[in-house]
Amino acid sequence: MSGRVLLGLALAALAAAPAVLPPFFVYLLALVLVTGLLATSLNLVLGYGGLYQFHHGVFYGIGAYTAAVGITRLGWPAWLAFLVGPLAAGLAGLVIGFFCVRLSRLYFGMLQLSLGSFVWIVALRWYPVTGGDNGIHGIPLPPVLQTLPGAYALVAGAVVASLAALWAVVRSPFGLTLQAIRDNPQRSEVMGVDVRAHQLAAIVLAAFFAGVAGVLYVALERSVFPSMLFWVLSLEILVMCLLGGWFTFSGPLVGAAVVVGLRTLAGRYTEYWTLVLGVLLILLIFFLPEGIMGHLQQRWNAHRAPSARPATAGDVRG
Amino acid sequence: MDAAAVLGQLVVGLSRAMILFIVSAGLTLILGVLRVPNVFHGSLYMLGAFVAWTVAEAVGPHPAGLWLALAAAPLVTAAVGLVLERLLLSRLYYREHLMLILFTFGVMLVLNDLVKLLWGPTYRSLVPPPSLQGAVTLLGVALPKFNLVLLVAGPLVGVGLWLFTHRTRAGRIARAAATDRDMVAVLGVDVSRVFGMAFALGCFLAGLGGALVAPTTSITLGMDHSLLIDSFLIVIVGGLGNLWGALAGSLLFGITQSVGLLVWPQFAVAFPYAVTAAVLLVRPTGLLRSAW
Amino acid sequence: MVGRRWSVLLLVGALAAASAVGAAAAPAFRFDRNIKVGVVDTYSGPPAVFGNDALNGFKLALQEINRDGVHGARIEFVTRDEKFSPEIGLSMARELVLQERVDVLVGTINSATALAISAFAREQRVPFIVWISKSEKITGAKGHRYVFSTGENTAMAGKALAEAMARRGYARFWLAAEDYEYGHAITNSFWRFMKRAKPESALVGQTWWRTGEPDLVPYLTQILQARPQAVFFGTGGAGMANVMRTMQVIGFAQRIPSAIHTAIDVTVLRPLGAAAPEGVFGTTDYLYYYPETPANRKFVQDFQAAYGSPPGFPAFHGYITGYFVAEAYRKARSLDRDRFVEALEGLRIPTPMGEVEMRGCDHQAVLPIIFGVTRRDPRFPHLVAGDPTILPGRDVMPTCEDIRRERERAQ
Repeated sequence: MSGRVLLGLALAALAAAPAVLPPFFVYLLALVLVTGLLATSLNLVLGYGGLYQFHHGVFYGIGAYTAAVGITRLGWPAWLAFLVGPLAAGLAGLVIGFFCVRLSRLYFGMLQLSLGSFVWIVALRWYPVTGGDNGIHGIPLPPVLQTLPGAYALVAGAVVASLAALWAVVRSPFGLTLQAIRDNPQRSEVMGVDVRAHQLAAIVLAAFFAGVAGVLYVALERSVFPSMLFWVLSLEILVMCLLGGWFTFSGPLVGAAVVVGLRTLAGRYTEYWTLVLGVLLILLIFFLPEGIMGHLQQRWNAHRAPSARPATAGDVRG
Repeated sequence: MDAAAVLGQLVVGLSRAMILFIVSAGLTLILGVLRVPNVFHGSLYMLGAFVAWTVAEAVGPHPAGLWLALAAAPLVTAAVGLVLERLLLSRLYYREHLMLILFTFGVMLVLNDLVKLLWGPTYRSLVPPPSLQGAVTLLGVALPKFNLVLLVAGPLVGVGLWLFTHRTRAGRIARAAATDRDMVAVLGVDVSRVFGMAFALGCFLAGLGGALVAPTTSITLGMDHSLLIDSFLIVIVGGLGNLWGALAGSLLFGITQSVGLLVWPQFAVAFPYAVTAAVLLVRPTGLLRSAW
Repeated sequence: MVGRRWSVLLLVGALAAASAVGAAAAPAFRFDRNIKVGVVDTYSGPPAVFGNDALNGFKLALQEINRDGVHGARIEFVTRDEKFSPEIGLSMARELVLQERVDVLVGTINSATALAISAFAREQRVPFIVWISKSEKITGAKGHRYVFSTGENTAMAGKALAEAMARRGYARFWLAAEDYEYGHAITNSFWRFMKRAKPESALVGQTWWRTGEPDLVPYLTQILQARPQAVFFGTGGAGMANVMRTMQVIGFAQRIPSAIHTAIDVTVLRPLGAAAPEGVFGTTDYLYYYPETPANRKFVQDFQAAYGSPPGFPAFHGYITGYFVAEAYRKARSLDRDRFVEALEGLRIPTPMGEVEMRGCDHQAVLPIIFGVTRRDPRFPHLVAGDPTILPGRDVMPTCEDIRRERERAQ
């Protein structure tokens, strides 16, 4: 099918990129992949789970910081640090999620925002371990990862594998139940589904994959920064999901590509790049609420056959 | 540690708590009535401070300048809020709730860059009139005279808000809408207009906070950041949408910090956050009953 | 053994031969392309005031240099705004090196960004000149072959202030600082040198507040109640304004002697105007009105003509950075990055503050430190440094041996 062909083409392009593109664009592509994985992991709870995950960046930061601290302060080998990072992020997801899932939507988001801010403050203040506002730089990695092609290969491979895993989760019975809960929590409850357990599991999974994105960031940049845990980044990831379309699987990836690309290009020509992002966001909310991929999908469906989905998917759930 | 020292620090902390209260009362009002955590609340606070500076500069050294600035700045931010609400935000009320939140984030990005465009990156100082310069010694503590203005302004705003929510029709409707908005709509009240008014009032308070803080600190880009986080935490600790919760949270914040300085100065900065965390772990929905 | 007269003759002969060769070769050698400098600094938000000042100084130097060029080449530059975020700064530096292919990186006001870019520069073997941020780690513990500093650092300022306070006999201190890289660096340095200058110095207590803390009254009143003999403040950049203004309002410096690096600096005192406190001890490495040497006067005149206001310390750093880059390429006669690094090591250039050397062992410019106390002066619209004294750079810098040990410890 055409979906398969597209997927194959995308994979081939990813594999060919380092040979074809100038080094800076290889780096940029790797950054898009890392950010895209981060946004896709958020979408598991946001788009598929319907939860107000307002501070997803915290898990990204925890994954990255765990790896960085493990390597530089504890002398772990890189593979161990890259394994423990996502696990630590998943554990943080379990703890924060445990407190949040008991609450209604807005309280869920606000409590997560405040709990996440503590993690951020710890990273910002605990100088001997986290390097405070400096972060940690020049993290030593095995020589093969210190080259751009090496780092790119790891990032591309891990992102593709993680996206495949997330796709499997979304299509699994667990993923379908999660979407059923999103659409009608009361009915799911009546049908004997443990709503909170499903939501908590989704948060832990999403946190784990955000942690994977975090350690990949370390592999790519060999640095970590406290701003990775700041709430502004978390809102930016939300914007990526909205931009790409949060009812599609590929939407967040597309949103991440647009935001990272715009930031790099607009940052070159204007210091008012946040103004550009803000205006774009407002326009999007009014004129393209289903996001880029959501819009394309709708047109595709309308073209082929009448769809069962409501035309304004972004509007129906309040 | 003598009692006078503690009392002195208490007074100092109280004046800080008043600013926090004024700003977070506005935030919690919008949150209670519209159920929107207004992310650009901090930007309006900053805008209020810059407008106050501009007005005070335009009037010159005359003492009336400061009072004019204190009056003008909140009116400007209320107008900005009202226009944004009527033109844009009100069209989103029937939409996915997350859209409202992201909309306010978009406005925050735009407003902050607009402030930079209009006032530039340098910081500004608003010098209070001579009668309010310098400090008074109170309980052995040097307290800036202007902080006395804050100590009066806080309770005034509190009383004003109480009168509004309990003695006026619009206020009662707003309060009812915060508890059960569907019921209010069924009663045939134009909820949308009440929403607009509550939003403008919330924005008014953000600007008032900014104007009141202007003479005590440097007016800079980025002054919204730490305040926004603090007032969000205060609102959560107090109970979303609860005005008196905002007061309780502000007092908790301002006083733990200033008195914490006497106990453990090196880590006083973390005190308010530690207290917030403790409260939330015991009572995840805040100290006082949330409005819904 | 050769007689003394012979050795003099030999030396003169050698010099003559060398200059003849130089004179013959110099016009023949030309660079085949222009030199490209990539500037990463903060151009938005409050710290942009410093970033723009440094850039103006740099531009002025390039105007002068490009009149004749460097071996036929012009020095060009591109700027990138890091928005005071090390994350953005690092990604901008990467773009400048990989995409714009700049020869030299220059920046930034943010110590955290400087350290992040420094790690990247080391990996890419690109020279990186730090011109405003003052963390001593940059050329100290985290220094390496490719990083240079053309600004004074926290080790120098801390030592100068500590010795001045020790001379005044203060021994019981309170340390109050902003909780970020620069605040920690300057406070640690001050206290380290205070203990060295006066071993009986005692710490009454310390306070840390977060950057951008709007209300410092509770912090300052608490220190007044603790009654130390003197206070050291570790605040910088935009955070200076709030401390200085709060000190003025509650009459802090009149009650307890206070020392702050950059307290006498024009970039701090000018925007504060009448809200600046008198009687604060401070240091800086550049003042446009002192010393009144012909070189300084000319720089101030040219700068004022070009940009409408007198230069602050970042402009001075930007200006000498331009000349260090030009002179190093003139000496290296090669666009090779390693040749540039070697040429810059130990280079001496004339500056508005007299001759300045780029020390070979740690790549730190040997800059003088000016000490003074803030004072009103009817001739100026802002407060000035009263009783200024100049401490030569070599007296306040850590020795090469100190640096070597620090780097070993950091390994």
